Amino acid sequence: MYPFEGLFSLLVLSMVLETQALTPTHHLTTTDVARLQAVLSQPFTDLKSAYYSVVGLSKLGILVADADETCQFIKSNLDPSSVESLFYAAEASQALSGCEIPVSNDTRDLLLATVSEDSTASQIHQSVSALSSLGLPLASQEVVSALKARISKEDNVLTIILALQTASRLSQQAELGDILEEIEDLAARLDDLSGVYLQFEEGLETTALFVSAAYALSDHVDMEPPLKEDQVIQLVNSIFSKKSWDSLSEAFSVASAAESLSNNRFHVPVIVSAQGPAAISHSQPFLRLQVTDVLCQPLSSASVLVESASTSSSKSAILSQAPFTLRDEVFELNFMASQPASGYYQFSVAIAGDSRFVANHVELKVKVSTRVAINNMDLSVVDKDQSTGPKTTRVEYPTKAKAPFMADSHQNFAMAFQLVDETTGVELTPHQTFVRLHNQKTGQEVVFVAEPDSKNLYKFELDTTERKTEFDSISGTYALYLMMGDATLENPILWNVADVVLKFLDEEAPSTIQAKTLYTPKPEIQHLFREPEKKPPTVVSNAFTALVLSPFLLLLILWVKLGANISNFTLSPSTFLFHIGHAAMLGLMYVYWTHLNMFQTMKYLAIIGSLTFLAGNRMLAQKAVKRYTYTQKARLTAHKAGPQTKKLSKEPLAPISKNLFFLGATE
Amino acid sequence: MSNSVFSVISRFVEEYRSSTPNKLKVIDAYLLYILLTGVFQFLYCVLVGTFPFNSFLSGFIACVGSFILAVCLRIQINPQNKRDFLTVSPERAFADFLFAHTVLHLVVVNFVG
Repeated sequence: MYPFEGLFSLLVLSMVLETQALTPTHHLTTTDVARLQAVLSQPFTDLKSAYYSVVGLSKLGILVADADETCQFIKSNLDPSSVESLFYAAEASQALSGCEIPVSNDTRDLLLATVSEDSTASQIHQSVSALSSLGLPLASQEVVSALKARISKEDNVLTIILALQTASRLSQQAELGDILEEIEDLAARLDDLSGVYLQFEEGLETTALFVSAAYALSDHVDMEPPLKEDQVIQLVNSIFSKKSWDSLSEAFSVASAAESLSNNRFHVPVIVSAQGPAAISHSQPFLRLQVTDVLCQPLSSASVLVESASTSSSKSAILSQAPFTLRDEVFELNFMASQPASGYYQFSVAIAGDSRFVANHVELKVKVSTRVAINNMDLSVVDKDQSTGPKTTRVEYPTKAKAPFMADSHQNFAMAFQLVDETTGVELTPHQTFVRLHNQKTGQEVVFVAEPDSKNLYKFELDTTERKTEFDSISGTYALYLMMGDATLENPILWNVADVVLKFLDEEAPSTIQAKTLYTPKPEIQHLFREPEKKPPTVVSNAFTALVLSPFLLLLILWVKLGANISNFTLSPSTFLFHIGHAAMLGLMYVYWTHLNMFQTMKYLAIIGSLTFLAGNRMLAQKAVKRYTYTQKARLTAHKAGPQTKKLSKEPLAPISKNLFFLGATE
Repeated sequence: MSNSVFSVISRFVEEYRSSTPNKLKVIDAYLLYILLTGVFQFLYCVLVGTFPFNSFLSGFIACVGSFILAVCLRIQINPQNKRDFLTVSPERAFADFLFAHTVLHLVVVNFVG
């Protein structure tokens, strides 16, 4: 079995060397482990919390302080008639040394009886674990069949995890193949969050319990769990991303997951972190790395190797296959011995030594910083028309030039210098090289940038006429400073090089510079409210309202003249109802205009409208019948009277209908 | 020219007075009222300004809509058009007129603001 496994892991390693594997983004630091320990060391109140504390601490490799007192507590809180209580007591006493729980025949029978298809997975797990911890015999095959029956009935994640845990306590001769396959099915159920995390939707505790159960069972049957390297790292990220735990059970699950990931036979995730910032300089030439497992225990058996170290920009390798030396559980490498130029380097580090290591290729960014020196600082005043030669003065850092330099409108002030690495003498181009001129009297300051030419020689020229706007044409003595800085420089520089007296033409009357009033209260903004639109005078509006309403009078007059009347008003309930309903609808329109919104109106309209409709329908039907009978009678009389009265048939509806329509025409 | 126009008009008026049934004249009076109301609203808008424009629009649309509905009613009731409206009795025409007016009122009151 071992050679096969060796081949397997070799295959995995070779695959790793080809692919870019994940590295853990979240892991427990020593403070986190200490916090976990503190959570688990809280004084316990009942048997369940005692179990979590004692067993959790034993997973972290810590023994409980007062073993005897704890043992007494467990024995006194044990309830022999409850399987759960027996489970907690048995497991906790197993973790303590020299703590024996007395077992009676009834207890044993109770535990054996719980192993059946009818108990829940949790009960089966508790009874099997209790039997195993108390050293009582159990029938493994029965347990297996009970577990299989339970899994087929309840397919949820927690049931299967408990089945895995239970199976790891059974004898190796039992048929655990089917249960072992569940690990793969469960792994498929994990949710991949943006390629970084892998967890169950049930949460952190379930994911952690899954990890500890899967590795417990895999170790028990000595078969590698079907989890890929990347999956293991993603699980590490999920489980160890939370640094403070809500409950004791959550802390316990994280502790047991951490223990199984550091101690199993197949996968051991490696955590590599630089001690302090990953920065090297002449004073600090060693790059120090801490290589630990997930419980922050150093992996002393590992050998750490730099596979390649190259600059971030050029990708040319400075180092190749250089080993780290182990000192006090920290791996260090003297990188300055290879005399790297200052800048950023990309390190590719490999950790070998154990075939179980997972994520043992790490990419690190290392900064090499250096000290800068200023050479050949030459200050000169040059005539613009170049009639006289430049007067150059050399100034040494950090002294200041003795005499101030004078420059007026006919002259330029120039500065040239070189920046080199103090130790190697290589020319440097830092990110920030500024020349600052500060007027002593007015407090004004102007900053310029000094640029290097092709030979990395920095030059700065000040033309007083050209730059007079920046200075506001204020003549006077300016102190000249050189400011220099960079991320890779250890000694940023602020050097008062010289004093420069500048004279500007067309000088305005020396106005005092007002300090920029950035933080004083500004003038208050008066808000201009929107002007309401100009309305016409009320007289005009009233006049036109009267004009618009006047045709109604005309209408009434015309109708009276035409002889419209309501003489044909039938007195029946439907007519009254119709007219009342109709009036109500018109009233509703008015109320809609003043108070209601569309929805309320529609509601009321529906009610009133349907009533009016029914009444109106009835009324009009009656009218129709009346009209029809009248026309029939008219035709009959006409027929009897003869052809002269034919004219009547032309207008049969005249007397009735005009009244009918008057009723409608009041709209 | 004006003579012929005048004679046409007077002939038309005479014809109208004698041959139109009274109920149609009632409707015609109503139409005239609606027309005048609309014209006066428009006049106000032209002379004074469109200040509450939505109100003007809703009033004007009310007039236009009522005019159209009354014209429809008049057409459907006219006994001379009976052949075109065999399925529509005068009562049915009136009921339609009322219903359409309800909808028009709802819209107009919503818009008048």
